[in-house]
Amino acid sequence: MTTAMRTVETQVLSEGEWLSITQVCRASQIDVAVVIELVELGLVAPRGNDPQDWQVSARELARLRTAARLIRDLGVNVSGAALAVELLEARRELEVQLRALERCMHSGAGGD
Amino acid sequence: MEFRDYYQTLGVTRTATADEIKKVYRRLARKYHPDVSKEPNAEAKFKEVQEAYEVLRDAEKRAAYDQLGPEMKSGQDFRPPPDWGSGFEFRGGARGRGRANPEVDAQFSDFFSSLFGGGGAFSQAGETRARGGRDHHARVDIELEEAFRGGARTLELRRPQQKPDGSVDLSTHAVKVTIPAGLTDGQQLRLSGQGEPGQGAARAGDLYLEVHIRPHDLYQLDGRDVTVTLPLAPWEAALGAMVTVPTLGGPVQMRIPAKSRAGQKLRLRGRGLPGDPPGDEYLQLSIALPPADTPKARAFYEEMSRELAFDPRANLGS
Repeated sequence: MTTAMRTVETQVLSEGEWLSITQVCRASQIDVAVVIELVELGLVAPRGNDPQDWQVSARELARLRTAARLIRDLGVNVSGAALAVELLEARRELEVQLRALERCMHSGAGGD
Repeated sequence: MEFRDYYQTLGVTRTATADEIKKVYRRLARKYHPDVSKEPNAEAKFKEVQEAYEVLRDAEKRAAYDQLGPEMKSGQDFRPPPDWGSGFEFRGGARGRGRANPEVDAQFSDFFSSLFGGGGAFSQAGETRARGGRDHHARVDIELEEAFRGGARTLELRRPQQKPDGSVDLSTHAVKVTIPAGLTDGQQLRLSGQGEPGQGAARAGDLYLEVHIRPHDLYQLDGRDVTVTLPLAPWEAALGAMVTVPTLGGPVQMRIPAKSRAGQKLRLRGRGLPGDPPGDEYLQLSIALPPADTPKARAFYEEMSRELAFDPRANLGS
């Protein structure tokens, strides 16, 4: 094993950042046809008219990547993946709320 | 390196049919998929399952693997036989089919790489033309404090690398990454040219980092805003008080207005994660009751019960 150490430039893809469709396909390792299908299903909302001019918000890259992994690893189809991504996000939000409620109840009732 | 028993990983017998293996893989993949699973160590487990399936799904790889002998046990010390890979006829590009994914392969064990990694008989054939490197992805978990202050992080990245003699070695390269202050959960970082190296003169891929902020004991994060549950004594809530509250930048003094109620939220503007605009800190009030565990405390409660006309259930309409 060889170890080399380098310092590299980090670029933050902020909420305002948009990625071209080519970058998105490269980064999420999915076919442009699948991206188009996921857009049609409403999982991501790109800006631009034609698919080749589409730009996707950096925020939504994570959704596409999750969908890509589910399609590749679990063999679900595109609609199934879109549904799963949305349900997973909903679950995550509920868990955050649940944590907050539990914490609130605990500190109110326990008094310690 | 350690031998891996792929049949044991999937929980199938050595005589399992391709169909059985596929079914078992599908079940285990769903159980342990890191995007879906709640199992502890799901990610590690999923990778093991994926690695096992990558070999056993492919008739050629499976046949080669089976030649290593049924007496090998998981964890046993293992060296690939010197004639490994000879005596098989391979279809070119055997791994180009289906799910096989170099990004995934790079995360497999040394055992896998030594047998089926790039450069050997099992690697993709005919891919010598200049080709841009693929983008790689990694997830980085940071503490909330790190998201607040920013900092530097050293990441160890592993990638298979072909040695001059054609065998494959996993090289670790460390990159120092600057974590800018004010990252939010799920944000993406891009490190240009840090993905898979390009072949020939082609450009290297990029490395994408998805940042996750670990749940914090005290602060609950929502975008750039943080919420802290602030317990108050009943008299502090009723009469108002100056209290010390924690913020990410250090404790501050805060005035609690009189007649505060449990569940109310007070805001400390700009005390959340930095940004433009910065987030706020919310204090969710809760009332903590003093325990009635001494005669004196009991006497106080009894006095309140006598002196205060208080019906906590007045709104229940009974």
